Amino acid sequence: MSVATASEDAMATLAAEGRAVARDEAARLGFRLALPAQILVLFIAVFPLLMQLYISLTDWSPLSGIGWWNAWELWNSFANYTDLAADNRFWSALWRTFVVMIVCVPAEFLLGLGLATLFADDFPGKRLFYSILLMPMMVVPAVAGYMFFMLFQSGGPMNDILSALTGTRVAIAWLSDPTLALAAVMMADIWQWTPLMFLILLAGLVGVPEDQMKAATLLGANAWQRFTTIVLPKMKTIIIIALAIRVIENFKIFDTLYIMTGGGPGVATETISVYIYKLTTQDLIWGYVAAIALAILLVLSIATVFAMKRMAAAREARA
Amino acid sequence: MKRSIPFEIFRYAVILLALAVTLIPILWMLSMAFKPIGEWSATGAELTWWPNAPTLSNFRFIFGESDSSLIVALDRTALKPILSSLLSATLGTLIAMTAGTAAAYGLSRFGSGQNLPLALTQLRLFPPMAVMIPVMIMWAFLNLTDTWWGLALVYGIVTLPFAFWLMKTFFDDMPRELEEAGLVEGCSRWRVFTKITLPMMRAPLASAALFVFILNWSDYLIALLLTTREWVTVPVYMASLSSSMTGQLYGAKAALGLIAAVPPVIMGIAIQRHLVRGLTFGALKQ
Repeated sequence: MSVATASEDAMATLAAEGRAVARDEAARLGFRLALPAQILVLFIAVFPLLMQLYISLTDWSPLSGIGWWNAWELWNSFANYTDLAADNRFWSALWRTFVVMIVCVPAEFLLGLGLATLFADDFPGKRLFYSILLMPMMVVPAVAGYMFFMLFQSGGPMNDILSALTGTRVAIAWLSDPTLALAAVMMADIWQWTPLMFLILLAGLVGVPEDQMKAATLLGANAWQRFTTIVLPKMKTIIIIALAIRVIENFKIFDTLYIMTGGGPGVATETISVYIYKLTTQDLIWGYVAAIALAILLVLSIATVFAMKRMAAAREARA
Repeated sequence: MKRSIPFEIFRYAVILLALAVTLIPILWMLSMAFKPIGEWSATGAELTWWPNAPTLSNFRFIFGESDSSLIVALDRTALKPILSSLLSATLGTLIAMTAGTAAAYGLSRFGSGQNLPLALTQLRLFPPMAVMIPVMIMWAFLNLTDTWWGLALVYGIVTLPFAFWLMKTFFDDMPRELEEAGLVEGCSRWRVFTKITLPMMRAPLASAALFVFILNWSDYLIALLLTTREWVTVPVYMASLSSSMTGQLYGAKAALGLIAAVPPVIMGIAIQRHLVRGLTFGALKQ
């Protein structure tokens, strides 16, 4: 008996050792698998950020004639950051970026939600219509920008359609009018990204349980009541995700806009990305650009952490 | 649920309107691509919605044939930009998929790389314009500016979050019986990953790769900053197609736009099933 327990003990020890080896193997492999991604993150995020911080405290530019590591010779303490606070063009670009966002994201959301509700049940032609409606979001944004550039020429199809509808000769120079250029840029954004809202919201709508809807109908709820009491609460998370994606992406708006107007006329459609781009490639004041970029990154990071905390809190409250 | 006739009429009316709005910009470019120069713009005359005399001259022009109706000849053809776009997007996809798949598997099975989800989400959040200064300096230092491989490296990093999240949700969803059987048979974990898991995941890997390729192919801003002449990509080249003599080369640009737009649309339709998952970072599945 004692021999049997001894051998059982030995077996148990062996098994434990085997598990430890397996754990070790797993940990080692896991580390190696994560390594390429870690290196890439370090290479593009951590190191460049430190470099950006360093340059942002100097007057360095590619025309300074010294390497970036010698930028301390042009040290200007926090002058770039104090300049930023007084830079009207920066603040108006930021404001314009928010205006575009405040118009485009809700418009895309409402149009996408409306279309999604029409696609919730089956009807002839559904699959074909669905595929066609998704096309704009797959078009290369720069090409979409060029499409809308053509549409909004004063001798272009947009005015032609308006002429046909109103019966008078319309010849609006869309892209050379400050207000209309901004409107045109927004229309292009809405055209391209409503399909994304439609796609995501439809995926959410399909997940709403049919039996609950039927029960509510039997209880006498009308379509609007069913929508507000069953569909909307069920879709809350999905709606938040869809809105968050568009807010993030819309804040970066560049490609379509830059191709359509180049930020003009004047600075009428200059958003934050366009402003930074011009400073980078035309004014070449990279120290200042680094300061702007870091300020934006800082604000966005705080916003992300805050949003993630809120989401975690919401998840806990539900559990 | 049975719907009333008026509702059906309303539904089709709205959908037809949406289809028209969706298709008009696309069809306009399509028709422009086949228009001869005389029909490019309506200077006083009627606007032609469909080419009266369809021609392939725009396509021939961007591939180097001189057009007698245009005074200018291109100093370079569209061939190299197309090559540049293809090469950089492909290598970028390869980098993102390799690093992303490996890291996703590590996190999904062994819990390694816990910092990656947050780091990669933030990477996705930042406007590329706000991190390009250091990248431009580093790339100049490493002699990577204006090369397709230098561009590909940035693409690989920018699209890494998408590859990572897509593959992570695919790995999380995957049944593990076969992997466990492999372990019991005495395979090492690496062998299990390469000989059992990856072959099983061929279809999801292909979808994720197509998704990442579309994103890389669609880039404009990064190529605009990192390529100057030799290896400009299609969107950058397209935007540069105008001359002081003729102004906008509408037809030529439209032809090029068409070439740029077709591959992602076809690929996008092919992976329609996974679009929601990819776009929402795996938070949502269809």
